[in-house]
Amino acid sequence: MEAMGIIFSNIYDSSMGELTGERTSAAIPFAGRYRQIDFALSSMASAGIRHIGIITKTNYESLMNHLGSCQEWDLTLEDVGVVLLPPYAIGHTGIYRGKLEALYSALNVLKNAKQDYVVLSDTTVLAAVDYKDALRKHIASGKDITILTKKMNGNGRKYLMAVECGDDLTPTDMIADYTINGVMDISMGMFIISRQRLIEAIEATVPHGKYHFERDFILEGFNCGSLSINVYPFEKTALFNESLIEYYENSMKLFDEQVRQDLFRSSIPIYTKTRNEVPTFYGDRAQVAECIIADGCSIHGACRRSVLFREAKIESDAAIENCVIMQGCTVGRGAQLQNVILDKDVVIKPYTKLNGSAEHPLYIKKGATV
Amino acid sequence: MYFQKKHCVAMLLAGGQGSRLKVLTENTAKPAVPFGGKYRIIDFPLSNCVNSHIDTVGILTQYQPLELNEYIGNGQPWRLNGSHGGVQVLPPYARAKEAVWYKGTANAIYQNIPFIDRYHPDNVLILSGDHIYKMDYDKMLRYHEAQKADCTIAVRTVPMEEAPRFGIMNTREDGTIYEFEEKPAHPKSNLASMGIYIFRWSVLKQFLEADEADPSSENDFGKNIIPAIIAGGYKMLAYEFSGYWKDVGTISSLWEANMDTLGENPAFDLRKEAGGLVYARNYAQPSSYIAPTAVISNSFIAEGCTVHGRVDHSVISTACTIGAGAYIADSVIMPDVVIENGAEIHHAIIAEGSVIKSGAVIGEKQEGELSDLQITVIGKDKTIAPGQTIAPGAVI
Repeated sequence: MEAMGIIFSNIYDSSMGELTGERTSAAIPFAGRYRQIDFALSSMASAGIRHIGIITKTNYESLMNHLGSCQEWDLTLEDVGVVLLPPYAIGHTGIYRGKLEALYSALNVLKNAKQDYVVLSDTTVLAAVDYKDALRKHIASGKDITILTKKMNGNGRKYLMAVECGDDLTPTDMIADYTINGVMDISMGMFIISRQRLIEAIEATVPHGKYHFERDFILEGFNCGSLSINVYPFEKTALFNESLIEYYENSMKLFDEQVRQDLFRSSIPIYTKTRNEVPTFYGDRAQVAECIIADGCSIHGACRRSVLFREAKIESDAAIENCVIMQGCTVGRGAQLQNVILDKDVVIKPYTKLNGSAEHPLYIKKGATV
Repeated sequence: MYFQKKHCVAMLLAGGQGSRLKVLTENTAKPAVPFGGKYRIIDFPLSNCVNSHIDTVGILTQYQPLELNEYIGNGQPWRLNGSHGGVQVLPPYARAKEAVWYKGTANAIYQNIPFIDRYHPDNVLILSGDHIYKMDYDKMLRYHEAQKADCTIAVRTVPMEEAPRFGIMNTREDGTIYEFEEKPAHPKSNLASMGIYIFRWSVLKQFLEADEADPSSENDFGKNIIPAIIAGGYKMLAYEFSGYWKDVGTISSLWEANMDTLGENPAFDLRKEAGGLVYARNYAQPSSYIAPTAVISNSFIAEGCTVHGRVDHSVISTACTIGAGAYIADSVIMPDVVIENGAEIHHAIIAEGSVIKSGAVIGEKQEGELSDLQITVIGKDKTIAPGQTIAPGAVI
């Protein structure tokens, strides 16, 4: 049985703050060399999903630039590969309010597809997902829809959907768009459904003013018993990047070996755009401890518990700790940074001191000189 | 089928056995040997082609072509996957009557005359697959054409005392070559051939055909074709190149060229700003993890590595693991190598996929000139047992 993919590139744009100032959440850089969409796209590619529609809303230029012809994901071989669905192609409403409305604009793509199933995914939950296994279990369950979930503590944050379920993986309770306290099976924003059933759902809800996929389709279907639901509990690490602070906390989790092993498994390689940087050079006076470092950096100062993206330059006597330094940044000689996120191409002048805190990291916007 | 006319087609000789690289070329063609952390030797001439706007490249393979073929693929990493031209791997192939290996460098080109003729090129650039350098072939080509030369040979000046080790070009004042001497005992000049030639295709083709008809010929560019063209009175020019260039045909030169990439102002700068970007096939490796215990200085570390130990003046390639308490100095670690806790490596080249078990000691700290250093080599996919000691200069 074959599946096609739909990726929603920007569901959390508004909550990501300045990180999505000039880019859609799919294009947010993560873990030194990736963009968030790489995880969804690579998981699908590894499962042999070749036909993927990427739904965009605004700010999708950097995403298009990142994806190029999708050759890095080996997704250019088929006659129908990856299709970008930008807003101008949306026939119905122009700017959509939720995933159902967005899917309405993808109706033609869905109707013309040949695959029996559709895998839907947001780009804000980062995980290497085995969709082959999930699809197999979805089919075996005989249910209408499968929700991929991660059992974890909601910690008072708002999630699009969470379920309670027993050992039979059938939900006993569901909530949508609500604050979660305590441990629940929280939706990873990833779903499997038959293509036909999805088309029916879109056509039955959107004309009646409904647009929220989780609330107006799944929860409502659960409440009135018209939708049978299967839960796929995801066992490995899943990082929910749904706000700037979560983004920062999750970046710091990359120092945990188990997290790295789960995210970067050889069975589900995460592909990204090739950039041909040289390897990272460590100078005579470099001091690097507990860091994630991409290619193309040059390090002459001290780095502790930090993530360095491609082509970051840390000049001599500079010291950074608990920082996320994005692509092309320069931290000048003698500068000291603690708990700081530097967006792309930021220049920190020599001997500058910047301090954030673990709860409130200081964010410096793309291209700024400080 | 329509073939676009090309101004210049490059032919890359990648068929040498590379026996002086010993275990490193046991199962790998020399041009596919890893270099500089994330590259392979062939990336340098291929990237030079791209950076010089040459979009049609034939790669002549012979020994152990499997890995090289796979690496080249459709040429996409070097932007050589265009619909007109691109990169073609050209192995010797069986004809109707006989299957013939490439007898020599000239014969390899001779056998591929039909490939070159398809593009009706004005010029053909002949390259070697075992040199590390960045060069603008376009500049050389413009010189060749402006001078209306039939053949232009890239040369560099070497110290006079080293000249007997090279193919030496003896030139007149106007830069024309009147004599080629292979490893002369008493050199008349110190202009050494770099094995990079541009020929007017109509002239080269004629000489390749004549050479093939001569049963006593060794079918070699240096020994046969170049002297014959000089004797024929054609205009042959020396084109001097002063940038970094190294023939990495031996263990010590391969080690030295890797070391030359290190430092604040490296002898050979891999970066784009210094003479162009080097393209390579990239594999999906995450960013490297540098542990709290790691101590790294004056080294390259490529992506996909996990480093717990100490690394000094070394090149660590993609996807290596270096355990706690391990110490690596003055060494080249090729991709996918595991160096376990407490292992020690000095002045060594460790080939792809090898595992150095805990406490093993490879080589020893040495001082002195390159010619005195004894580089230890561990071949591909070897395992060195825990606590085992490998003597300096050993080849495993």
